[in-house]
Amino acid sequence: MRVMLRRLSFYAVTAWAAITLNFILPRLMPGNPAQDLINRSAGKLSPAAIKAIQVLFGQPHTSLISQYLTYWRNVVTFNFGVSYSFYPTPVIQVIRQSIFWTVVLIGLCTIIGFVLGTLLGMFVGWRRGSWRDALVPVTTFLSSLPYFWFALIAILVFAVSLRWFPSSGGYGIGLQIGLNWPFISSAIYYGTLPALTIVIASVGGWLLGMRNMMITTLNEDYVLLAEAKGLSRLRVMFTYAGRNAVLPSVAGFAMSLGFVVGGAIVTEIVFNYPGIGTVLFQAAEGQDYPLLEAIFLTITMAVLIANLLADLAYIALDPRTRES
Amino acid sequence: MLITPDVEAMAAGPEEPGPGRSWLRGILAPKVLTGLVIVGVFTAMAVFGPMLDHADPGAITSARLQPPSLHHLLGTTQQGQDVLTQLIYGARVSMEVGFAAGILTTLWSLLVGLTGGYLSGASSELLSMFANVFLVLPGLPLVVIMAAYLPHSGSAGIIIVITVTGWAWGARVLRAQTLSLRRRDFVEAARATGQGPVKIMLYDILPNEVAIITVTFLGSVVSAILTEASIAFLGLSDVTQWSWGTMLYWAQVSGAELARAWWWFVPPGLCIALVGTGLAFINFGIDDVINPRLRSAGSTPRRRRSRALAGSLARLARPPVRRAAKGPEAARGPEAARGPEAARGPGIAGGPGGTAGGTVLELKNLRVEYRGGAAPVRAVNDVSLTLRRGEILGIAGESGSGKSTLARAVTRLLRPPAQIVSGEMTYTARDGRQIDIAGLSDRELRQFRWEEVSIVFQSAMNALNPVLTLGTQIDDVLRAHRPGMRKVQRAARVRDLLHMVGISPDRAGAYPHELSGGMRQRAMIAMGLALDPEIVVMDEPTTALDVVIQRQVIETISGLKDTLGFSVIFITHDLSLLIELCDTIAIMYAGRIVELATAGQLYQRPLHPYSQGLLGSFPTLTGPRRTLSGVPGYPPDMRRLPAGCSFQPRCPRALAACAGTPPQLIRPQIPDPASVACLLYDTDYQDHPEGLTTGGGRA
Repeated sequence: MRVMLRRLSFYAVTAWAAITLNFILPRLMPGNPAQDLINRSAGKLSPAAIKAIQVLFGQPHTSLISQYLTYWRNVVTFNFGVSYSFYPTPVIQVIRQSIFWTVVLIGLCTIIGFVLGTLLGMFVGWRRGSWRDALVPVTTFLSSLPYFWFALIAILVFAVSLRWFPSSGGYGIGLQIGLNWPFISSAIYYGTLPALTIVIASVGGWLLGMRNMMITTLNEDYVLLAEAKGLSRLRVMFTYAGRNAVLPSVAGFAMSLGFVVGGAIVTEIVFNYPGIGTVLFQAAEGQDYPLLEAIFLTITMAVLIANLLADLAYIALDPRTRES
Repeated sequence: MLITPDVEAMAAGPEEPGPGRSWLRGILAPKVLTGLVIVGVFTAMAVFGPMLDHADPGAITSARLQPPSLHHLLGTTQQGQDVLTQLIYGARVSMEVGFAAGILTTLWSLLVGLTGGYLSGASSELLSMFANVFLVLPGLPLVVIMAAYLPHSGSAGIIIVITVTGWAWGARVLRAQTLSLRRRDFVEAARATGQGPVKIMLYDILPNEVAIITVTFLGSVVSAILTEASIAFLGLSDVTQWSWGTMLYWAQVSGAELARAWWWFVPPGLCIALVGTGLAFINFGIDDVINPRLRSAGSTPRRRRSRALAGSLARLARPPVRRAAKGPEAARGPEAARGPEAARGPGIAGGPGGTAGGTVLELKNLRVEYRGGAAPVRAVNDVSLTLRRGEILGIAGESGSGKSTLARAVTRLLRPPAQIVSGEMTYTARDGRQIDIAGLSDRELRQFRWEEVSIVFQSAMNALNPVLTLGTQIDDVLRAHRPGMRKVQRAARVRDLLHMVGISPDRAGAYPHELSGGMRQRAMIAMGLALDPEIVVMDEPTTALDVVIQRQVIETISGLKDTLGFSVIFITHDLSLLIELCDTIAIMYAGRIVELATAGQLYQRPLHPYSQGLLGSFPTLTGPRRTLSGVPGYPPDMRRLPAGCSFQPRCPRALAACAGTPPQLIRPQIPDPASVACLLYDTDYQDHPEGLTTGGGRA
């Protein structure tokens, strides 16, 4: 319990840091992003929208402290102003439309990639000196490839040449978004190729980490003793070696998650997937600062929640953390 | 000096060369060489490529989207630009950004990690928190936002953005390393001499982190190259400056993948991955040097030095009090003890017809070698032993004597590079069935294990699975070997076993970390007895315990042995403990048995000069006063054993012949069943026969 409280307070600090960073960055950057944005809009923005932008990015003639307080009020009430590139849609609405796609696609792929990579890493680490060792240089190479390059290759091979999957989009044109089978089946069909790309690109990192931990764990006395006890090979591999070797992977989930999410977001862009990554790309292209900031906060919060879940999993997996 | 703690250092790492050589070998490993070649080629391409290829990577021609040909080796883009030229110029920008950002990131990580790790208190906590917050923040969105604020700032802006977002991982690693170095003796010593913190960090800590810093640096370069590619691919950098990322940006923007122009976007991606792989390979090599367990040569049994040391301290603190039953003999002089002693103990070394049961385990000419290094190391050399039913056989020796390797050979737990090269291990079941242990198939071995032979390790903390409850770990044995047992029966058996070793049965649901050291070791013994095995191998079961707990555990073992009637092979460096506990004792030195005798006989009249030295290492409360002579010198280097007797360089009584003739295990005094491997007792070499009868080495 104490462990959990400590973690919770850490995430609270991280959330505060992210929100504050979001406040400081535009004010630190050379030039005046708020004024740039207002000027570029050439009278398109309503006075209320201009006000919101100034609250987020810097108000003239107002002290930093009061700017910070107003900024916080807007963040807490999800008032991120109006999107510039999707004018006049409010930022929060743009995010609401896209976040679901990302959570489903990237969430599922991250979990699948983690489970698959960890299992493979366990098998590779279990018996060294066999053909499985050849997987190490291969996966090293695969994990060094940029995700988006994988996406390009996947489109070339499976969408353009083989025509198995569509090359872009999240669902068929003209379908009603909702809980109806034509839409869901179409979403699965459209999502398969991006999902495969993310899973294949992310599996290597988990595999290598797990393999190394597995090799270290196999030298532990408790694995040797499990063998001496005459337990079945699977029991030794999973419950004695694997169960302990996976702990650092779960503990290091935070570190890897940021990397995976980053890669997955760029993958969305290549597939023109209707998720938050593609919106981020459009916002960056259009220098839509309100949308950029809100997306950063959204992704950060999602990553923090994922980390919290990983922490819960860790506590469930390692009894040593449960000490009262 | 006294016997050194048994860390099995020699047996564990006989192929371990000096630090200098291991570095060299690390660099020469095929993976590292491959990595160096790859990185070298791309660095050369980045540095010299643009000098050799003067073409303008941005020059627009009419040869649009041409596939690879002799004229354009890698084809052209939609604007008719040469892909190879772009790739060469792109290498320069990508590598430049990668290495520059790598250097800046590492420097910043080092600053935060080193000071955060060296300082203590609030400032250290704050720095650690700072790093952890940045670690959790998703890097890419942050990079995108920062890059969006810094449009068209060129490489410099990108390098700054990558540094700001990518330093946290390295800082965390370096902080952990500094924290562990800070408590080392040499740093404490530097602090004691009044060196300032900055000087200590720079001269004492930094040089010891070079390997980790290199790993961090190479890792940062890889991630910087990837991040640059991502930023460029998103069009957030200067898209007219050619890098591998901008090439991919233009390919994606122009729909190269839809036009099947693979030659356009495949090469830059491959280049990024190749540089990444090359750098990762170099890192693997460094990792192998830092962490020898990952080395592909194979795993080696590992011992915990500190625990063994603690054990040896406990041993020093404890006077050897002999078991009450043997007390009178101990008090008597050697001459008086001779007769009854020989009759009391069970027969040994080929003397059948002892008082205890028949043979349960017989080892014949067993030889185990470690074949990792240049020459095989014989950790167990030509060992023959007989274990009788109900007997406690003790094996004693210094570190590297091969006693733990012997235990693992008997239980077939040796892992590469250790292997049994020759010899026989025959197990005789109660019904007279004989089993060749070395010849068991994997399936037979699984059935044989624990059912017939179980093992108790030195450190119960390490031998118990930390994530399973005690009950589950005992239950595992029953589930594997007694598939017919119902869950309730198994639970009852677990409770019985715990009760037997004096642990409250309700502790079955406890995790190992919730038990005390003594309880854990007793739980190990309970587990070892779960299937009523014939033999329990105990590999230093008490070394890690303090004196009082050690006593309790020994009493538990003796008591259970008397009621259950199993045989024990008890391995330790603590000879006094063996004399108290065992029926028969084998003294090992450099992989060989140098003396084999009953406990009483060994105590009264050790034959081998080494045994005499070992006994001379122990102070005694009840026995006659004697000089603590100890064994001078150090355990031998198992890779370079002397030609004749291995003990000869340390032997106070060595003969000239000892340097050339390896002694065989013989029985010098026929009525005595004691065997010794020493030329002093070989009639061919004897020149001081009177020295033998007095037992030498005693005052």
